[in-house]
Amino acid sequence: MNANWIKVFVAAFLEVFWVIGLTHAYDFWTWTGTVICIVVSNYLMIAAAQVLPAGTVYSIFVGLGTGGTVVSEILFFGEPFKWGKIMLIVILLAGVIGLKLVTNEKVEKGAES
Amino acid sequence: MAWFTLILAGLLETFGVAMINQLSVKRNWQTVILLILGFGLSLALLSYSLRFIPMGTGYAIWTGIGVVGGTLVGMLFFGESKDWKRLIFIAMVLGAAIGLKIIS
Repeated sequence: MNANWIKVFVAAFLEVFWVIGLTHAYDFWTWTGTVICIVVSNYLMIAAAQVLPAGTVYSIFVGLGTGGTVVSEILFFGEPFKWGKIMLIVILLAGVIGLKLVTNEKVEKGAES
Repeated sequence: MAWFTLILAGLLETFGVAMINQLSVKRNWQTVILLILGFGLSLALLSYSLRFIPMGTGYAIWTGIGVVGGTLVGMLFFGESKDWKRLIFIAMVLGAAIGLKIIS
């Protein structure tokens, strides 16, 4: 059980790395690293969602992924901290997580990247 | 232009997820190719957009459009529930995305 939750956290961590990669990659090695992160992140996420409740897994994953990208662009890439922007991203995220949680109550399981 | 490619990237993400679902119904190589093209093009367009739009904003909107798109496809074409809760969540995502465009 625990190993599957660790997969979710590692997947979210790698998700932040590939988003940084898509934004800043500039040569062969940075692009290779980005592609590896994309593949491994999605693989771990799908593997975890087959065992754990898919809606919950996706919600934690997307929450950590979004939070991670916002925090790292402010900490490492000199993006200014703006309350309005943070609030709007929180509202957007709440909508995404809400959709995932109410949808997965009834239908679909697994297969979601 | 970057906002247009970002929206297109989100829609292609929806398309890719739809192809994953399609694969679980019927396995054939045409679907696999469409899946790879959908996600590949989605990520390429996301990458282009993120060179102009702040990373956190762009990523959040890309994810949001992907999930809202998937929900709308389910509602319109596969008879999934049009529950008021789902409509409110969709409105939150789209409203926030428009807000982010306005303030950036």
